[in-house]
Amino acid sequence: MDYTWLFQLAWIIPILPLISFLIVGFLGAKFSDKGGMIAIALVGAAMALSLAIAYAALTGGLPSHGAEGAYYTDTIDWVVLGSGFTLSIGIFIDTLTALMLIVVSFVATLVVIYSIGYMGEEGDRRRRYFTEISLFVGVMLGLVLASSFSLLFIFWELVGLCSYLLIGFWFERPSAASAAKKAFLVTRVGDVMFMIGLFILFNLFGTLNYVEMFDPEVLTEVDQSLLTWGCFFMFGGAIGKSAQFPLHDWLPDAMEGPTTVSALIHAATMVKAGVYLVARMFPLLVHSYEWLPLFIAVIGVVTALMAATMALNSPNIKRVLAYSTISQLGFMFLGLGTGAYLFAVGIYEEGSLGYSAAMFHLMNHAFFKALLFLSAGAVIHFVHTEEMSKMGGLRKYMPITSIVMLLGAISIAGIPPLSGFWSKDELLAVVQSAGSDNWVFYLLYAMGVCAAFMTAFYMFRMWFKTFTGPEGEATKHAAAHMAHDDHGHKEMEHAKPGKIKEHTPAVMTVPLMLLAVLAVFSGMAALFFFGTPFYGIIFFEEPIVETGAEILENVFTAWTTYLSIAVAAGGIGLAYLAFYKKSIDVDAFVNRPAVKPLYNMLLARYGFTKGYDWVGVKAVYGFSLVLDWFDLHVIDGIVNGLARGTAKAGRGLRRVQTGFVQTYAGVVVGGAVLMMLLGYFILVLLGVVRPW
Amino acid sequence: MVDTESLVAVLPELLLVMFAIVIPAIGLGTKDSRILGFTALAGIALAAVGPALQILEDRNAVFFPSDTGLLVLDQFSALFMLIFLSVAFYVVLASIYFTKDDKHQPEYYTLILLATAGMMVVASATDLFVLFVGIELTSLSSYALVAFRKKDVKGAEAATKYFIIGGLSSGFALFGISLIFGVTGTTDFTLMNEWLIANPYPNDLVPVVWLAMIMIVVGFGFKIAMVPFHMWAPDVYEGAPTTITAMLAAGSKKMGFVALFKLFFIGLIAIKADWEFLIAIMAILTMTVGNLMALNQTNIKRMLAYSSIAQAGYILIAIPVATDYALAGGIFQILTHAFMKGGAFIVVATLATVAVGESINSYKGLGKRSPFLALAMTIFLFSLAGIPPLAGFASKFFLFWAPIQAATDTGADWLIWLSVAGIINSAISLFYYVRIVKYMYVEKGESEDKLVISKTMMAAVAICLILTVVIGIYPGPFYDACWNAAQALLSYSVPLP
Repeated sequence: MDYTWLFQLAWIIPILPLISFLIVGFLGAKFSDKGGMIAIALVGAAMALSLAIAYAALTGGLPSHGAEGAYYTDTIDWVVLGSGFTLSIGIFIDTLTALMLIVVSFVATLVVIYSIGYMGEEGDRRRRYFTEISLFVGVMLGLVLASSFSLLFIFWELVGLCSYLLIGFWFERPSAASAAKKAFLVTRVGDVMFMIGLFILFNLFGTLNYVEMFDPEVLTEVDQSLLTWGCFFMFGGAIGKSAQFPLHDWLPDAMEGPTTVSALIHAATMVKAGVYLVARMFPLLVHSYEWLPLFIAVIGVVTALMAATMALNSPNIKRVLAYSTISQLGFMFLGLGTGAYLFAVGIYEEGSLGYSAAMFHLMNHAFFKALLFLSAGAVIHFVHTEEMSKMGGLRKYMPITSIVMLLGAISIAGIPPLSGFWSKDELLAVVQSAGSDNWVFYLLYAMGVCAAFMTAFYMFRMWFKTFTGPEGEATKHAAAHMAHDDHGHKEMEHAKPGKIKEHTPAVMTVPLMLLAVLAVFSGMAALFFFGTPFYGIIFFEEPIVETGAEILENVFTAWTTYLSIAVAAGGIGLAYLAFYKKSIDVDAFVNRPAVKPLYNMLLARYGFTKGYDWVGVKAVYGFSLVLDWFDLHVIDGIVNGLARGTAKAGRGLRRVQTGFVQTYAGVVVGGAVLMMLLGYFILVLLGVVRPW
Repeated sequence: MVDTESLVAVLPELLLVMFAIVIPAIGLGTKDSRILGFTALAGIALAAVGPALQILEDRNAVFFPSDTGLLVLDQFSALFMLIFLSVAFYVVLASIYFTKDDKHQPEYYTLILLATAGMMVVASATDLFVLFVGIELTSLSSYALVAFRKKDVKGAEAATKYFIIGGLSSGFALFGISLIFGVTGTTDFTLMNEWLIANPYPNDLVPVVWLAMIMIVVGFGFKIAMVPFHMWAPDVYEGAPTTITAMLAAGSKKMGFVALFKLFFIGLIAIKADWEFLIAIMAILTMTVGNLMALNQTNIKRMLAYSSIAQAGYILIAIPVATDYALAGGIFQILTHAFMKGGAFIVVATLATVAVGESINSYKGLGKRSPFLALAMTIFLFSLAGIPPLAGFASKFFLFWAPIQAATDTGADWLIWLSVAGIINSAISLFYYVRIVKYMYVEKGESEDKLVISKTMMAAVAICLILTVVIGIYPGPFYDACWNAAQALLSYSVPLP
């Protein structure tokens, strides 16, 4: 079937939320719900269109372009640069875009619906919230639809700006305001690299349009060294945006924003932009020198392991999820890096599987992590704290939330047949198989398995501490509050005595249940229930088309699968013993002299927080102060001498009594002398004049 | 030969001077700032017709006088005339309310028009000496404008400093020009370059040319506030009436760049190898010092002044790269900077009329008190920091890309460091811009009263705001104009044999 007419409408997708941004922004205060319904309607419409286009794209509706694969693109010239260079803007749709459209639009819609309940107590501020979130959804959809790296970069900066605004939503909290600033500035470090990468690639290709850059003939001709460095700097941008080592430390702080924002921006969508970028430049990566994909894989696994360790003892429910997000993003980079490495050395089928597995994990992660965050949001909404030590025993009061969150935890831990299992297992299997080409990948595989073990452990630690065990003070307080509330309501008559209903409103639990369905089934659905399994849809050059039975056979005959399941079960079991049965004394363990420093180091995030402050406050700001002092004292000192000399020489200057002007004039004269010396020195260096 | 046709080239300047003479005459009859201001606006609008047609209809260059050609109206000078005239336009528009209670209003508008005429002379000069006369016309007018509120101690002090340092710099420049004349026997840029090509190394006189070059750079470097000739800028920007600060930052500073472009891209291009490293070092030094000093300023005008110094450093990148892309990028950055920095200063001026001080602290809570001004300021600051899709991003993109393009084109790899320095510096600059935004929206101010803003000042801010956004979203035609201007300027430089 010809879907071209549908693809031609794709530019409307980002426009819809932007209309919501304008309507809510200007008129939101006039509505009783401060624009929530408008945001739902327009974001929902964008979702409907996104899903239709994604369906068309994933069922083979994309126009084929021979060796370059199947894609649809439509661009207009934006700036024509003198001779030959053109920057254009437009849309580009391939299966990767389609996948991102599904993930972003679907999670965004659910989060906006959920926000009606979650942000219900915020009063007039909801207008600002719905304005900013609409803007975010619009620019994020624009980012995935962009037809060139230059347009992508513009949206990239805009999602960063939205993230800044939304982290700082509760700006009266100093911690939120400074977290917003930190996120904005740290990701800018990555953006600097991104921009350098853009320039290098622009120069290399004379264009930044995907279609023209990914032309196989062009790719084999370009200078491989420049290509590698260009991609290296672009990856720097991905490190910042996707919170990878060593720019990861902004993400835990970003949890100061509303939990809905954490779920949407800092788990399901914006932080995936870095992964998306690397996936998008995959054709460039496979033509780079091999060290770059390997470097990406190493950064990924180091981040995955490091973030997982930090999640082990974090006392804050949202921080655990934040570390977990960083860690899972690391897995995706591990998959992409490994895939590109295999391509670069000529192993195509496995390489394509690495790419597919990373994208598969991206999709599954978006669902289960959004679920986990929104469940945590429901918990926080109920107990009004984020400290897990004050929770406990919540299962009784929040049966629905506890079950969906448990499903999310099982999914991320990697227990079959939930979705997290399929993608994580496949991803690790690819890394393991790459070991036969380069032994380093065995090491990466071992580290990945360790991280997977920790993932299972910290997720269940979180679940047990929140929902089971004795009731913490916040739980008791919330329960008392709830009982008090309910006495005032007539609904009590309907509730059976002795049974306590879920206290979370339906507008919040329904999105949770929908996400729970996906967290359980998205993996299986993508692999088994559609005509072509996921690997045959989202692939790079070498589709792996297998039937469901073949996939099952391949998965369950490999020893790596059983190892994955074993470490997941082991992690859950350890958490069960430590935090449910309490047969392991955790407190005694961490207070051992050998463990205590390690424990504190994890709480201090390996010192990265201090490190950033040192660079930002001490180094840069300090240098600025030094410069200021230098200007005031040293230059003044030199200059006063100079100025005195000048003043003696020129009668005009002597009449001026304000010391400052003398100083400045002195600097001008001194500067002129310095410039002459410098210029002379350069001329000597160049050999233009001989020193005489 | 002076004929009527060649008069077209000087018509814009003549119109401005005419209005500059008429305004004091009107001033004898009325003291109403609105009448005087709108007369000045009419003059500016009339003067803009010629340059605008020049660009829109892509006309041929017109020389005045038509045989020897001291001044020229071409795509380059027309573009800069339009930039200077638009700066003058929004400055006058904002001044109508800003200076309504001041004495000597007619003189104020006359001086603004004369200063603008001087800048336009610089834009169209083809001769070093004519260019110098233009600079002096602007300088003398702006000394007086800085001291316009003569009862204001800060303003008077700033004017004194400005005058003395300005005089010193003019001395340097003039000395340099006379040396060049003595050696090459010409002050015409093209002929100067021809002489340099005809008399290559080894040549006893070249060191003198080189000394002259440094002298002139010192003199013009004062105008653009190049480090280490920048120290006057924060004091003068702080002390001057804020509308005049906007003019200094957005107009007169850009005039210095025009002068440097003409000197280096036409006059001295033959000895490029001698000065490229020097200017490159100056560029990096200027942007770095400007940004680092801006980090801990507590007065918003001083902060913007240091940020202007940093921006000057970025624009300087264009000179050592010396390709048409670099020049076009530099011109584009000048164009966008004229609106984003000028706009920021006009916001400060507007706030000063409603008793919001210049200390950064007094911007706390502005988001609630005047949503429009806070939003405008945010957009100007983000644009200065180079956040897309605003004008500052577009221009920085082209400017920072140019060195890399040149490096791959010519093999001069060291040029890449100019891009890297520029990009890192603009990342640093975000620190101090975000701080203002945070103060405006996040922190609670002492007062929460809504501010009532004059309509004309709002209009001036709105002009800058619209351009900052439009250029960012649709840079095509604007970049084209800059590209054509760059081509027009480079057409005078004689290619090396």
